[in-house]
Amino acid sequence: MNTKLRVSEISKIYPGCVANDEISLEFGSGKIYALLGENGAGKSTLVKILSGVVRPDKGEVFLNDKSIKLNSPLDAKKNNIGMVFQHFNLFETLSVFENLSIDSDKKNEELRLSVNNILKKYNFKIDLDIPVLNLSAGQKQKVEIIRCLIRNPKVLIMDEPTSVLTEQETEDLFVSLKQFSDEGILIIYITHKLKEVLSLCDEVAVMRKGKVVSVSETKEEKIETLANKMVGENLSTIKKKINNFKYSEEILKISNLNFRSDDPYETNLINLNFSLKKGECLGIAGISGNGQSELFQILSGEIITEYTSIKFRDKEISKLNPRERREYLMAFSPEDRISQAAVPELKIYENVALNNFKSSNFFEKGLVNEKKIKEHSKKILSNFSVNTDNVEMKSQFLSGGNLQKLIIGRELITSPELLVCFNPTWGLDVGAINYIHETLININEQGKSSILISTDNDELLKLSDRICVIYKGKLSKIMDVNEVTPEKLGILMGGGSID
Amino acid sequence: MSFDLNFIGILIGAIMASSVPLILAASGELITERSGVLNLGVEGMMIIGAISGFALMVITDNLFLAVIGSMISGLIISIIFGVLTQSLLTNHVATGLALTIFGIGMSAMIGKNFVGIPGKEFPLLFVNLKENIPFLGPILFGHSVILYFAFLLPFLTNYFLRKTKIGLIIRAVGDSPTSASNQGINVTLVRYSCILYGGAMCGLAGAYLSLIYTPQWIENMTGGRGWIALALVVFATWSPIKVLIGALIFGGITILQLHMQAVGLRIPVQLLSALPYIMTIIVLVVISRDSRKIKLNTPTSLGQIFYKEK
Repeated sequence: MNTKLRVSEISKIYPGCVANDEISLEFGSGKIYALLGENGAGKSTLVKILSGVVRPDKGEVFLNDKSIKLNSPLDAKKNNIGMVFQHFNLFETLSVFENLSIDSDKKNEELRLSVNNILKKYNFKIDLDIPVLNLSAGQKQKVEIIRCLIRNPKVLIMDEPTSVLTEQETEDLFVSLKQFSDEGILIIYITHKLKEVLSLCDEVAVMRKGKVVSVSETKEEKIETLANKMVGENLSTIKKKINNFKYSEEILKISNLNFRSDDPYETNLINLNFSLKKGECLGIAGISGNGQSELFQILSGEIITEYTSIKFRDKEISKLNPRERREYLMAFSPEDRISQAAVPELKIYENVALNNFKSSNFFEKGLVNEKKIKEHSKKILSNFSVNTDNVEMKSQFLSGGNLQKLIIGRELITSPELLVCFNPTWGLDVGAINYIHETLININEQGKSSILISTDNDELLKLSDRICVIYKGKLSKIMDVNEVTPEKLGILMGGGSID
Repeated sequence: MSFDLNFIGILIGAIMASSVPLILAASGELITERSGVLNLGVEGMMIIGAISGFALMVITDNLFLAVIGSMISGLIISIIFGVLTQSLLTNHVATGLALTIFGIGMSAMIGKNFVGIPGKEFPLLFVNLKENIPFLGPILFGHSVILYFAFLLPFLTNYFLRKTKIGLIIRAVGDSPTSASNQGINVTLVRYSCILYGGAMCGLAGAYLSLIYTPQWIENMTGGRGWIALALVVFATWSPIKVLIGALIFGGITILQLHMQAVGLRIPVQLLSALPYIMTIIVLVVISRDSRKIKLNTPTSLGQIFYKEK
């Protein structure tokens, strides 16, 4: 059965922003289509229109040459359009089966039978009777997919599906998606990750600022060509100069770092020893959940451990809290921008003031000196090319990339000697990633050091001078970056040995 | 005090009667809260139910009409709450508090003409059995139909929430209104319905007070029972059966401490009066220790305003 989906001159205008500007696209079953664009390019608005969540101001959607009305999610379901949102639409406290049964017209026994068939057919392993909150992100996504499959969809839309998945889960997802496509389901895959487009999809439409700027077959494209279309300018390829850190002085020495936790969700760290020289970037690779966040918190002083020794510029700082460590010119950029690094409800300048309690002259006699903070914040916004100059804006309205620039800028403007960052480009688009990478290389060139904890191997290989891998709370030996290959990293990350 | 089985039976019967308004109001509020709506107007809706039930009884001389009328009036004032919080998107807490203040004032105004009028006897069922069977008689028989309904209600509520499709939808809306809306569920309709149901049950709880428990109108006669019902829902971690247990403990200790005061134990009266509150909280906290279960029962979106993306 062939399915054709066509959108014609779709427009959607939000106050102050044209999210979709006369979008026309055609899709046919048997292929996987990528909808590629940076954050804010209008991809999500388009898929919300296709799934009936948002109504377009103008334009029409045709399914098999028949115009269809999509006024509510129910309409999308009736027309066999299935949608897996980036933020899951699941009910965390209900069981998997209850989640599936809520919008099904089938009787419970009948539904259980067809769900079990789907589980078997696609080799999904999910316990139907446990609450969704006990599932991993990958399993939750499978529940969403099953929910679509129950209705025998003609079209399946996946909105940034891999942003929460591990690498293994991503591979599994791609296998399933290809299987669906072979069975005749039309798949529209929304992403800003270029590699995924090339490895999974047949055709790609690139969106920029609410418009479709290119439609092409993926075999005619390369990462660079797609990136340039997406950003709309030629991206400079950044290259790190080889540092002469080998001859410079040691700035940080960690010895005997151990951490034991009673919380089963935390990882114990076992006897970590490493040191860092001036101007050097040490990369720490690993699959997430192997002790990275515990290590970050110990470095930043959020967790104080008993016998660990942390010597920074010849001072013992292991018992100091994050604020005191900042006074010794350390700086930190945590993994979660929204909940750890910034308070989304606070204004930009208030967030800037938060980690500068003692230094500078933001506070006088217990009062906030707003004028000084605002001047300081404006300086950060312009120095680190954050896309606004309004320091009164609430931080939650910044895009991920701009928020990250603000956070890194806030740390770097005090000229720290060491920056520890954890997944600094997670979930960002190419333009912002490029900017953050340039910034991180810059600080090394100025003779400042950095520790980069990241799950992105390309990033690590690009930015680090030396690399090691963390696996189950243990560090591998530290290697010079030119001895390291992605394959070696992969082996170490999986717990293997390369000697 | 002589050990008299029949006396204990009568005592238990009295405890059951005193817990009825709590069970009714709390079961209604439980459904409302399970849909993610926090209505702090329970006390206000109860007292409106109490006065309108009593007034209708005096005017029509028909108890059936009075009971139905009290439910409808509870429902009507919960509409105010519904319109404000669901259509005009006001804050649940502030609106609920306002509703209680409104209810207390309104009932006092209507009630002026009804002070001092004697109530009418409410028909009790199986009175013969009550007198002829020792111990069990006064426990099981000789109650009003509303009491039997109240003791059935938590079980019905439990079944409704766990086993029926509508119950599932209510829990889903309470968990995540945005997800529910994206699934094509009409969140506003579900929440309105739950608010109205809660209002009707609070109205009935009020009518039980003014028509059966103390058949007369006294200003402010709910005396904080609405707040207790609200607290019960939370401390029972949104489980209907635990609401029943909590209401019985509260009613039980209230009655027992009155007897203890009468006997003249050398414990400060203030401490005895505080006993029901303390004990109910302790018992409910102890039986609801399982943090996993609490998480599963708690409506995640409780008190959050929901507005639909257009």
